[in-house]
Amino acid sequence: MNLDEINQRLATMASGHDAAFANAAQFVQQVVQQVQTNAMSPAEAGETLKDIQRQMDIIQDEQQLAFKEELNTIINGLINLAGLV
Amino acid sequence: MRKLLLIPAVLMLSSCTVIDAYLMTHYDPNEYNNITVIRADAGQFKTKCDDAVASRANAERIAYETNAFKLYSENIPKNDDNYKAATSLNEIAQGLVERYNKGDPVSPVFCKLKFGAIENSAGLMQHVIGNRPR
Repeated sequence: MNLDEINQRLATMASGHDAAFANAAQFVQQVVQQVQTNAMSPAEAGETLKDIQRQMDIIQDEQQLAFKEELNTIINGLINLAGLV
Repeated sequence: MRKLLLIPAVLMLSSCTVIDAYLMTHYDPNEYNNITVIRADAGQFKTKCDDAVASRANAERIAYETNAFKLYSENIPKNDDNYKAATSLNEIAQGLVERYNKGDPVSPVFCKLKFGAIENSAGLMQHVIGNRPR
């Protein structure tokens, strides 16, 4: 797959209905454009795309933590309600 | 009545999830301070990307800070989620240092994207760490 084909596929994704996918596709499109204009090397672009995955992992881990925080608040509220502590 | 409905809702969750949440790590001001420093530095360093010499030093600084944050998180009990996030954050920072260490030219665009990714992720982590139960 060459850069033009990648760009074409990204343009299709970027105009899709899913906002998260559309944003991600737009970002990747910008990265590809930076490579095409020599503002960034292909190796830098590859590392930037790996960073997207790392950021997605961070979001997932933090969502888990935020869920536990919410649950902790609810549990403590229930304990207080029941007068257990 | 609404409060009573909450009880079966909580009981429907697996007992492990409930226990994990109940025993979760409480707010740690050092952890909050560390992630705040990383966020602030990344935001500042992002503006210096046109200066290659300063950027290299800044990349080493942020890599040190994210590694220290990862190590600090590592041995806090019941802190797996945050340790995993800290590891990913450190990987983002190490990727920039590696580019400088290889001796390849580092473009200002790449430098800004790297520090921007660190700043955004640290901002998210700071928000969640700040919301830990007191």
